[in-house]
Amino acid sequence: MMPWGFVWRAVGALLWCVGGTMILPLGFSLAYGDGAHGSIAKSMGVAAAAGAVLFLPSRKGGSSLIGHREGILIVALGWIGAAVLGALPFYLAGTFSTFTDAFFESMSGFTTTGASVLTDIEKVPRGLLLWRGLTHWLGGMGIIVLSLAILPFLGVGGMQLYKAEVPSPVPDKLRPRIKDTASVLWKVYLLFTVAETALLMTGGMDLFDALCHTFATLATGGFSTRNASVGHYQSAYVDGVIVLFMLVAGINFSLHYQWLTGKPLALWRDPECRFFLFATAVFIVLCAGSLYGTVFHTVAGAFRYAAFQVVSILTTTGFATADYETWPPLTQVILFLCMFLGGSAGSTGGGIKCLRIILLIKHGYRELMRLVHPHAVSQVKLGGRVVPAEVLHSVWGFFILYVALFVVFSLLMAAMGLDMVTAFSSVAATIGNIGPGFGAVGPAENYAGLPLLAKWLLSLSMLLGRLEIYTVIVLLIPEFWRP
Amino acid sequence: MKLIIVGAGEVGFHIAHRLSQENKEVVVVDKNPEALRRLMEFSDVQTLEGSGSDPRILQAAGIHEAQTFLAVTDADETNLIASFYANILAPRIKKLARIRNEAYTHFQPGLLEKHLNLDKIINPDEELVHTIERLIAVPDAEDVRELAEGRIQLVAVRLHAGSPLKGKSLIDLGRMADGLPYIIGAVFRNETLIVPTGKDVLRAGDLLYVVSDKDHMNKVLAFFGCREKSPENIFIIGGGDIGLRLARRLENRALHVRMLEKDRARCDRLSEVLHRTIVLHGDGTDQTILMEENIAHMDLVVSLTGDEETNILCSLLAQRLGARRLITRISKFAYMPIAQAIGLGRVVNPRLSAINSILQYVRRGKILSAVSLRGEEAEVLEAEAMDHSPIVGRPLKDVGFPKGALVLAVVRGEKPSIATGHTVILPGDRVVVLCARKAVPQVEKRLSVPVRRP
Repeated sequence: MMPWGFVWRAVGALLWCVGGTMILPLGFSLAYGDGAHGSIAKSMGVAAAAGAVLFLPSRKGGSSLIGHREGILIVALGWIGAAVLGALPFYLAGTFSTFTDAFFESMSGFTTTGASVLTDIEKVPRGLLLWRGLTHWLGGMGIIVLSLAILPFLGVGGMQLYKAEVPSPVPDKLRPRIKDTASVLWKVYLLFTVAETALLMTGGMDLFDALCHTFATLATGGFSTRNASVGHYQSAYVDGVIVLFMLVAGINFSLHYQWLTGKPLALWRDPECRFFLFATAVFIVLCAGSLYGTVFHTVAGAFRYAAFQVVSILTTTGFATADYETWPPLTQVILFLCMFLGGSAGSTGGGIKCLRIILLIKHGYRELMRLVHPHAVSQVKLGGRVVPAEVLHSVWGFFILYVALFVVFSLLMAAMGLDMVTAFSSVAATIGNIGPGFGAVGPAENYAGLPLLAKWLLSLSMLLGRLEIYTVIVLLIPEFWRP
Repeated sequence: MKLIIVGAGEVGFHIAHRLSQENKEVVVVDKNPEALRRLMEFSDVQTLEGSGSDPRILQAAGIHEAQTFLAVTDADETNLIASFYANILAPRIKKLARIRNEAYTHFQPGLLEKHLNLDKIINPDEELVHTIERLIAVPDAEDVRELAEGRIQLVAVRLHAGSPLKGKSLIDLGRMADGLPYIIGAVFRNETLIVPTGKDVLRAGDLLYVVSDKDHMNKVLAFFGCREKSPENIFIIGGGDIGLRLARRLENRALHVRMLEKDRARCDRLSEVLHRTIVLHGDGTDQTILMEENIAHMDLVVSLTGDEETNILCSLLAQRLGARRLITRISKFAYMPIAQAIGLGRVVNPRLSAINSILQYVRRGKILSAVSLRGEEAEVLEAEAMDHSPIVGRPLKDVGFPKGALVLAVVRGEKPSIATGHTVILPGDRVVVLCARKAVPQVEKRLSVPVRRP
């Protein structure tokens, strides 16, 4: 049977970590005197107690050598626990009347989706808004990766945990030890966070707004502190900075580590990164072309809004500077397709990921080649290296599950009485961790009006998307629980 | 501390695992992606697919920032070329290579070490022959280890049902031994480690690790019921490279050796190079020839063919025909527990021997040497006592060592002495400590030699 002792111990430690980070919003809350400090402090207390209940009794039980199954279980339970914990400050402060809404908002935060059920964001206490941003930031690089960097005892089975959380079919190990790999990734992440915050403050934002938007950008989340999202600022500079950092966040962080440590061509040499940037450019040009003359009357304006929206959706961030539902059909379809493509593997973005799309295309092309040359020996290669068959199989499996879940969840949404556009786009926007969709969940609306059950369904969809389906769905298979 | 290991075979695999457990940064290079995947799932190491003899791969593995380089693939040539490039890319780092072929190592002794800047060449065959020789020297021992340049010996003896020491506590034993300098460092009961105290009572079937200095070892072993006499008639099954090496060594010690080899041409060659050994042509699993050669009266039967299944069969057959002492060569780690279960107590493994000597060398720093007992359950560390160390200047019984650790011996200058409660360690002494694996970090702290943390 499962070594539950170690699983509970790890989950308990994770809850402590997440609870500990609440110190930051607590500080802001006290500084602004917004009255939310009580609920945050209480949540920290709950985190400490829940962590202790899980951690202490199982201190000695179970072996510390963990396998695939325990790794998956720790990650899945850890994420669910974090989402419940994250909902507490909102719920205790009375921001939402139901726990469902608080949980939805928290899950949306941690999974970096950015789908909100808040109708008037600007009225919410600032401490809570910062916590909302912070959930993005923690979930972006990953709470497990964070704990691997700081909790030494997880090191033993670290690779299992890392694989279960990092959004990539082939997780990189940057340093020989998993602990060092995790801390290198967090350092890179932290570096970009500082840089973006500084740049946004230069553009006139105060520290609070800059920090919240940075958290939402680098995690490709999308929670803004303003009702009109980034559109509130009406500033080309802010748009530019955010576009730049959304792109940064949509690229594999291993590549960032490489160019930051003296391999300047790393980004260019990576086929996935090239594909990602190329796809972005093509979509921007198409959208801008379609917008010019219809919605915007200057080329610069068309490009500015097209670039922001394409990058925002493609990297699965979900910020908005315009109501794209009033845009021409071509741009809407492009944006809808971008929801499926997503960022790069190993980035903070969601979606299917460029790497998988590249592999699927290459594999498809190889099958065509085999029709022409039945005896040809050809393998799928990426960047000059052969992609192992099991990676291809897992990519196909992922793709099929992704599409199947999209279909099933859309059907369920429709069964709850939602129209076709809303049903499709709300599932696409949550499983891809984007945020705003079309129709009733478009950029000018939000998820508040959905039925209660729909919110739970979409919460599950967000978690499935963030943990790349396998980690969550395998828990539903009876075989997983067999000793 | 960062290490690069070329080769993820059984030797590379185990070294990588052990070192990663000790919190070192380990990068493993191998051509076989499957082996790397297995290693990655099992241990916290970084892997790199490619040939270790490719300088680009070595560079990508980060050889510039590494402190130690180990070339341990099964192929000598790969190891040599890997060491060659490692020497060009990073001349200063510590380098070890596993090289088996005598043609390379014996052409001019020291030539390779000098030109490739190798710190040590590990020859698994040679290590195995050493291991066997140590076992031969102590006929009843299941394991023999040496520390402090051989001045201190650890010998594992099994307590038989008929032993007069059965049921006695260690304090009683001390009285019976009448001043013999020895200490029981560890007891393995049903394969679990007990670090004994005076009150522990010995039972039949216990495996005792007895420690003494070299001069007194024979008397100590006699006290524990072991024959003093070392064997004279030795029967070797399998005339491969290792068998030949062993036979040569034994010939030099004027022992009577018979060697059985299946391959006729090889027999001709063996009879040519061996002088006093009787070379027999035949199959080790053939009962007639074993009986014909009167195997029951041999002091020791060593099964050394290249095939472990054959070795196990030969040993079982010899045992059935009346041979009392056996040594069996098994290379697959998976077979080791089975061998214990079917009663082949003394098993030698060339890979394990190589792993032990490589680890002993890699760790060398302030810890002078370290040997692990019985699948890593316990380690024996040898270290120099520092001036400020808390263990210095007080009788050992007052020092308060962590649970699971025991000071075995102290070497002052050249003179070894076995530790008692009254021993006082002085700065500069070399201390030999046994510790259960869990106690290793604490012991290192006491000795103030934090070499394991990079």
